[in-house]
Parts: sequence; C-alpha cells; structure tokens
Amino acid sequence: MADWFSRRQFLINAGLAGLALKSPSLFANTSGTPSLSPIMRRIPGANESIPAIGMGTWITFNVGGDEQLVAQRTRVLKTFFDLGGTVVDGSPMYGTAADVIGEALDSLDAHDRIFAATKIWTGDESETRQEAARSGRRWGLDQFDLLQVHNLLGWQGHLETLKQMKANGDVRYIGITTSHGRRHREFAQIMEREPLDFVQLTYNVLDREVEDRLLPLARERGIGVIVNRPFQGGSLFRRFQSEPLPGWAGEAGVSNWAEFFLKFIISHPAVTCAIPATSKVEHMKENMGALYGALPDADQRQRMADYVGSL
Amino acid sequence: MSGADWLSYSLQDFVMFGPQVFLRLFVRINQDLWPWQVLAVVAAIGIPVLLFRQKRFERRLAVGLMAVAWAVSGYGFLVGYFGPINWPAVWFGWAFVAQGVLLAAAMFSGGVREAALPSGRFVALWLIVVCGLPWLAVAESGQWQALALFGIAPGTTAAAGALIVAVITGPWRWLYLPLLVLWSLFSAAMFWVLQAWWLLVAPMATLFLVGAGSWLSPRTAQSPD
Repeated sequence: MADWFSRRQFLINAGLAGLALKSPSLFANTSGTPSLSPIMRRIPGANESIPAIGMGTWITFNVGGDEQLVAQRTRVLKTFFDLGGTVVDGSPMYGTAADVIGEALDSLDAHDRIFAATKIWTGDESETRQEAARSGRRWGLDQFDLLQVHNLLGWQGHLETLKQMKANGDVRYIGITTSHGRRHREFAQIMEREPLDFVQLTYNVLDREVEDRLLPLARERGIGVIVNRPFQGGSLFRRFQSEPLPGWAGEAGVSNWAEFFLKFIISHPAVTCAIPATSKVEHMKENMGALYGALPDADQRQRMADYVGSL
Repeated sequence: MSGADWLSYSLQDFVMFGPQVFLRLFVRINQDLWPWQVLAVVAAIGIPVLLFRQKRFERRLAVGLMAVAWAVSGYGFLVGYFGPINWPAVWFGWAFVAQGVLLAAAMFSGGVREAALPSGRFVALWLIVVCGLPWLAVAESGQWQALALFGIAPGTTAAAGALIVAVITGPWRWLYLPLLVLWSLFSAAMFWVLQAWWLLVAPMATLFLVGAGSWLSPRTAQSPD
C-alpha cells in the first residue's frame, strides 16, 4: 500500500507541476501563504491523507450512452486529476454514472490515480458483496477504497458484511451516508457504536445542523467526514452568485463563490473532504481552486456564515 | 426505507439527470434514426387522412399506425434512450408498448368506432399537435436536431394519442386513458424539476386533448353516418 500511495502522490505532484507551468494564474499566491501544495487531510486512524476536495457524481455523470457527453465528462475528470483530486464518490443509485466513470478512467488510464468511493444501495442485506462487485466491474476496479451504506438503507446487514470485507482486505475503508439532514439521530447512534472509517453527510454554509452533534462526534470517535451537497444542489450559486464577495474574502483564501462555499466546509476541523459535483471543466477548475491557498480560521468562518446570512 | 424516509425525499431527488442530458436524447435518437424520420412524418400526416376515409380498412390502418407509434416511441425512446439514465422511463416505455398492443386489440375487437368522425376540429387539433409540439424541445435546447417527432418522441406521441380517444369506444377507452394521465403527470413533474418550461406544454396539452378527444367522440360529436 505504501508503494501504491507513493506512486499516487508522485502522479499528483507531477501533474500539478506541469499544470502550474501552463496555468500560473491558478496557483497565484493571493493569500500570502505557500499555495502549490494541495490541502491534504489525514484519514483518522490511518497512515494516509487525501485531498480535501473530491468529486461527487450525482446527476452530473449520469449521461447514459451519449458518447459526446461521456467525452466531456472525461475532460471534467481529467481536470480534476490534473489539479490534484483523487476522491471520486458514486453510487449504484446514480443511473449510468458508474459506467461513465469507468469509461473515463479507461480513457485516462487513471485507475491508479483515484481514491474510489461508492455505496451499497439495496434493501437486500445479503447483497452487499454482489453489489460491490457489480460496482467494481462498472468502475473497472478490482476493489474500492471506500464502501458506504447509502442513506442507511439496510445498514445493519450491509455494515456487518462490510466489516468482514475490510477484515479480509476486500475494501480499505467502510462507512455510512446520509444527505439532506435525514435520520441524524439514528446516524449518530451508529457512529457511537460501530467501527466506521468514514461518514458522509450534508454540510454547507446554510445547512449547519451537523455542527451541533455529528461533526463533534466524528472528531471524538476518529471518523473521517465526507461532505455532500456542498453547494446545496447548486442553489447556493443561484442565490448568491450575483452578490459580491465580501471585501475580506482574500484574507480567507477565497477568490470566487465556489472557493467561498468549499473553504467554509473544509476549514471545519472535523471535515476530511468535500465532494462537489459538476459537469463543466470551468466549474471543476473553480472547485479545485479551493484545494489550494489559505483556509479561513474560526473567526473568518463565522464572518462567512454571517455574511451569507445577511444577503 | 420507512414511510417517513420516503417523505423526506423531494421530487428533485428522483430526477437523476440534468436538462442538457435529457434534451440530448432527442438529438441522439434523431441522428441515429436518420432518415427513417420520414416514415414518422408520413404516419403523422397519414393518420388523420385515413381516419376519415369511408373504407373500414383505411380507418383501421390509421388506428394501427397509432398503435405502432405508441410502441416505437415507447421501446425506442423510453426504453432504449431514456431508460439508461432514468429507470422509471423503462416502465413507461413498456407501458407505451402495451398501449400500442391495447389499441391494436381494440381495433380487432370492435373497440374502435367504425364510422368516420366529423373531420374539421379533429384534424385541426391533430395538426397543431404533430406540427407544433415537436418544436418545444427545439425551443428548450436551441438545437433544431432536437425535433421531437410524432412516433419517435413520447410526449408528442402521447399528445396525439390522446386525440385518438375520440375513436375508441366502450371499456377499451377506459383502459386507454390511465397511461395518458400517468405519463402527463410524470413528465410534467420531471420537466418542472428540470425547469424545462417549454417542455411542460406537452403534458398539459395531452391532458387537454384527452378532454378534447372525449368531446369529439361519438356520444358528443354529431356523426355523419
């Protein structure tokens, strides 16, 4: 695993170095801090770090057999990898997204550049291994880095099997997911008693309920946190993009709204990674901008929330 | 999942694709089918012409063409193109095929009106549907290749199919109606979530035409026979 990780890091750094030469403005140091290194987060309890910005695939990668759009999404994924991303999250629930990821990984020959995360999404609790295997075939992977029980569907049976799979080395990390603030009480109970590596939940500058219980609990229990819906399904842009960034945004390492929303999230000490989804290369570049530069401190995070609340 | 869990989902959670991907379906099927669209256009024009001929065979042929249009748009567009990105579309696709079979069965079982209808209002509405509705996808996408033709695109086919209510009689009509209503509600909800406002016209037109078809049917229309 150490060799594998070194190779991944080498590829990331080589890609970044090449991109920096081609796109100096992306890495312009506007915050007074060194910026060429991506913001990495250690996975609690593991000797491994992952980039703090990943990629979700909900809606955006479900393009069916449309070769034109598959090629376009492949460019999005290439941009993600080129800018230092590794964590890609999917689910069997997302239609053809898994097939499109697999096709894109084949095109980019990038199977060893990805931290692959998917979900188990079936009410049949005896189907865990079969569903993981099916997803693996669609992604073109022998095994996933992370398998999560999707929205707690059949979680008891799936989690037991996932624990066995982890013990057998069939998967490296296991977890559970929720979104839209669903079933947080039950989610917390599972976090309290199960040996989870990751939880995935919804958190953004407007949806902050998880700050009260789930995020502190994740820190206390040493569980990594992956954040979905960082842009609230795009509605944050629709609501705020026409508004100016606050004058002090640069001090918080923020130069556009995507960075504003994402840096607010990944600057929370419990958060390991945020997984914004996009279908556009330009938006991917903006998202990945949040992987570099300074992060807001606690005071600045409060000002960010206050500012958005005032608009 | 419990009932409470399902209630926590919004309509948006069930639409797993973006408007661009959906509108590209029309472009792709038109590219893949070319030049067979000509047959669809001929059928769209031929159905009202045949429906008002005096010979029973010709009227049956019109209904048969409508049955084929249901089946082709269901299996071709919904199962073949839309299904991979939206699993409920597969169910609707097979329901469209079943609707075609139902219409064919009605045709051979005395469920289709034998006498000709007064043609003017029917033809006017039919032409508005088959000539006008295909352009909604063009207006929404900005691409003329997205033309949603009768017999290929389910929305236009369903709207035209709603008018056929006028020639179906007895219990066959009641069997024919549910899909029209369900498809209209499903597609309207989907277009609402996608914010594809132009496309919303098609399901609304379909529901209106179910009423219009009933109004033009033998019980209310004056028969020339």
